[in-house]
Amino acid sequence: MPTDTTPKEIGEISFGLMDPEEYREMSATKVITADTYDDDGFPIDMGLMDPRLGVIDPGLECKTCGQHSGACNGHFGHIELAAPVIHVGFTKLIRRLLRGTCRDCSRLLLTEEQKAEFTEQLTQTRELGEELGDVTKAAIRQARKNDHCPYCGGEQFDIQHEKPTTYYEIQEVLTNEYPQMIAAAMQGRSEDEDDDEEREPVSPQELADSTDLDLARINEILSGEFRPREEDRTAIEKALDVDLTVEDTNKLMPSDIRDWFEDIPDEDIEVLGIDSERSRPEWMILTVLPVPPVTARPSITLDNGQRSEDDLTHKLVDIIRINQRFMENREAGAPQLIIEDLWELLQYHVTTFMDNEISGTPPARHRSGRPLKTLSQRLKGKDGRFRGSLSGKRVNFSARTVISPDPTLSLNEVGVPERVAAEMTQTMRVNEGTVEEARRYVANGPDDHPGANYVRRPDGRRLKVTEKNCEELSEKVEVGWEVNRHLVDGDIVIFNRQPSLHRMSMMAHEVVVMPHKTFRLNTVVCPPYNADFDGDEMNMHALQNEEARAEARVLMRVQEQILSPRFGENIVGAIQDHISGTYLLTHENPRFNETQALDLLRATRVDELPEPDGQDDDEPYWTGRTIFSELLPDDLNMEFTSSAGDTVVIENGQVVEGTIDEDAVGAFGGEIVDTIAKVHGKTRGRIFINEVSSLAMRSIMHFGFSIAIDDETIPEEARRQIQEAIEQAYDQVETLIETYEAGELESLPGRTVDETLEMKIMQRLGKARDSAGDIAEDHLDDDNPAVIMAESGARGSMLNLTQMAACVGQQSMSGERVNRGYQGRTLSHYEPGDLSPEAHGFVESSYTEGLQPREFFFHAMGGRQGLVDTAVRTSKSGYLQRRLINALSELETQYDGTVRDTSDTIVQFEFGEDGTSPVQVSSSVDNEIDVDAIADRVMDAEFDDEDEKRAFLGERRRATNLSEHTDARRVSSDD
Amino acid sequence: MVDVSQHKLVPEHSVVDEDVLEGILDEYDIKRTDLPKIKRGDPALPDDADTGDVITVVRDSRTTDRAVAYRLVVD
Ligand SMILES: [Mg+2]
Ligand SMILES: [Zn+2]
Ligand SMILES: [Zn+2]
Repeated sequence: MPTDTTPKEIGEISFGLMDPEEYREMSATKVITADTYDDDGFPIDMGLMDPRLGVIDPGLECKTCGQHSGACNGHFGHIELAAPVIHVGFTKLIRRLLRGTCRDCSRLLLTEEQKAEFTEQLTQTRELGEELGDVTKAAIRQARKNDHCPYCGGEQFDIQHEKPTTYYEIQEVLTNEYPQMIAAAMQGRSEDEDDDEEREPVSPQELADSTDLDLARINEILSGEFRPREEDRTAIEKALDVDLTVEDTNKLMPSDIRDWFEDIPDEDIEVLGIDSERSRPEWMILTVLPVPPVTARPSITLDNGQRSEDDLTHKLVDIIRINQRFMENREAGAPQLIIEDLWELLQYHVTTFMDNEISGTPPARHRSGRPLKTLSQRLKGKDGRFRGSLSGKRVNFSARTVISPDPTLSLNEVGVPERVAAEMTQTMRVNEGTVEEARRYVANGPDDHPGANYVRRPDGRRLKVTEKNCEELSEKVEVGWEVNRHLVDGDIVIFNRQPSLHRMSMMAHEVVVMPHKTFRLNTVVCPPYNADFDGDEMNMHALQNEEARAEARVLMRVQEQILSPRFGENIVGAIQDHISGTYLLTHENPRFNETQALDLLRATRVDELPEPDGQDDDEPYWTGRTIFSELLPDDLNMEFTSSAGDTVVIENGQVVEGTIDEDAVGAFGGEIVDTIAKVHGKTRGRIFINEVSSLAMRSIMHFGFSIAIDDETIPEEARRQIQEAIEQAYDQVETLIETYEAGELESLPGRTVDETLEMKIMQRLGKARDSAGDIAEDHLDDDNPAVIMAESGARGSMLNLTQMAACVGQQSMSGERVNRGYQGRTLSHYEPGDLSPEAHGFVESSYTEGLQPREFFFHAMGGRQGLVDTAVRTSKSGYLQRRLINALSELETQYDGTVRDTSDTIVQFEFGEDGTSPVQVSSSVDNEIDVDAIADRVMDAEFDDEDEKRAFLGERRRATNLSEHTDARRVSSDD
Repeated sequence: MVDVSQHKLVPEHSVVDEDVLEGILDEYDIKRTDLPKIKRGDPALPDDADTGDVITVVRDSRTTDRAVAYRLVVD
């Protein structure tokens, strides 16, 4: 779908090497001078800023395409290199080709049969869609084994690669001391001094006989007049058992390599998995260097009027300078040594032009000493083109600020500060129906809240709305204009908190514009975002087209995300004080008079109380469960066990008995919320959660709820009992230790005696803490706030309570008692080898009492390890998550139900192997959903007439409730 | 040696007949090599499975009773 703003539509991308001819063809100009601008500030012809390479100064016209800056993308130029240089990106492939092909005839060092075999393997792996790397590597490995060419018979030498771009051939050549060495060997002496072995002296005649050489030739060799040829040398070596060779390294110049590669036949490179139609190996040795358009390396004019060039331009200047010097020197017939130095320098500049972070090569630096950012540095790394500019763009129409709670908002809403609303605009297309409204927005100006920031006339011209022109401009607004109005109540935005680990981390909310500077959100959406209000910040994105807004509203709105695909139950629901609130309201089923009952239900849709439950002193009363039941759908029937432990029975939307707590209305699978969201729909679910949270807040305020140190203090009697229990445990541990020291402790299966002792001690001490907790619990009242929170599941647990009131218990270091510190002891306060509980981190005090100094120290050890462990865990799981997301991101469920990747290979034959969404399926095994039965039941209940039913089935239209702000778009005005 | 194919958690693996396979490949509009793979040495494979064969794996599913998948045997 190309529009006028789409620069080019991409039909196909093919990867391969580029033909130098193609560089020349696409080049707008050859670049020959290293200078950029002349003294008058005009770009020099055939210089690096040649106007044919594109324009950056506004107003100027491109000499190639005639367009102005902005419209012209720029055009490549080219530099003719004086000598070929190696492309750093291909050094590994060059090395492999040098090693795998013949140095004389350039053919692949494999027999026809071997070639056929590898070609076959290649087509097979290609078909299977696997990496070709293994096969081509194996082919090269096989080819290297041949030290003679199977075609021309030429001897092959080892190729040594000195990073980054130098290649040597290692040849064995005859040493210059061959006469001496042969003479010595003939006399039976050995070069090697350690070699005492006496050898028979050999006369020249004997040598001549054993080597098939003339005696005269032998003498010539001995006198140094004749250098033996290779076969003669090997013969002499064999006869005398000496090594007459030395290693000689022969540097391969880029031009040599280019000539070598030019002769590799097409069919041979196909065996290595290279497409010969598209890529010839000699193209890896550059003879032409493309010059990026000026638009890719714009120069900046500094304040003082001086021009500052881009790093790439600097690098190109270097290349052109050396290139020219090279040419001049060669024409002047400079010595080979100087030519080679210049050649190396040219190679260095071309290399660092492409990659300036190669190990072993000093990076090219700016005059200030800063390493230059060249081509590869623009792409690589976190701030590179891929991770920084393509997958991670900074976007307009987004805002970020601190979040704070607002229980009066619906869970679908987000409170947006006025300042944000005035900046994030929505585009209104003005039509007959909205022209008045649009004018009012414009008339309000850019600063007063529901105002407008820009208008666009039908001719495409964009005008800024200012405080001064807004009145005047508002009268001009007509049908066909576009008005960029401020966000108003009811607009849909996307709200996000990082880390975005699941889809509920980005949900669509409806805007409620508010004073002050924070984003406001209902506390029931804290669980999906994993947000709290200790300084958390969140991001908001204002959507910019109708399609996005519709999609967000229908698919992404919070109420659509009540059920989590992670575990198939609700993730939005009551938390913390909401749960304490419903617990207080329903646990002992307290009574309320009319005023109180109405007050509790004030923020809900209920405006009429049901029949009272009874009369108290002639005054009617309503029980907590009755009041709570007002929020339930009338046809709700269920039975489950609450967190508090009693059975909750709901009949026809009335709580008959039981406590409403975390298991009923909590986030993470509260039964009632889950059932309503699944059975009665997401909208009913949203209403229920909103009302439960309002009712819970009202009821917790009605009763009052606070916690203090006194709430965790237990009577002296209880303290004494706990002390006794701990002492008893100490005695038993003491007995254990004595048995162990007497060598009478029997080890548990698969454990050593030491391990057994540790386990038993830990077990006994754990039991001691538990019984201390039980004692404390017996002495804490049921209306103790900490007990209420623990029992209802609102916050905290009985363990927390035990630690506060009775005994903190054993501190552990990686699952064991504290064992580290000094040799044989944890602290210098103890004897070495002391195995007693207190010497290994048992804390017998409670937090309310306060810890002893040694206890405090052990506690700090355990605490620190806990912190470190969580830090390590989050970073590890974060990385794992990233890798999983990257691996799975391109999988997509197709219309035929299969899950495929981008190359259309099937990953799953049916989405999730069952084609079902986790949120549409029952979450427990023993509660299967019989979809057909439900459908039949619903249809039968709805229609008594078959025809009516069929008519309905023909045209199905579900009620929508897409906004809670039906009248939001009314702009306040004087008329 | 334990025969894992007899373990209760190992689903049923069986070789697909060539003529049946044709219909399956047609249905998904894919080539044989586009199927997910299974190694020849996989102990769950039946004895008569050879490289190039297509295996069908039938699992029990709580939601759909039977979940069927296909795999190409590779080396
Ligand atoms: Mg926080
Ligand atoms: Zn142009
Ligand atoms: Zn050859």
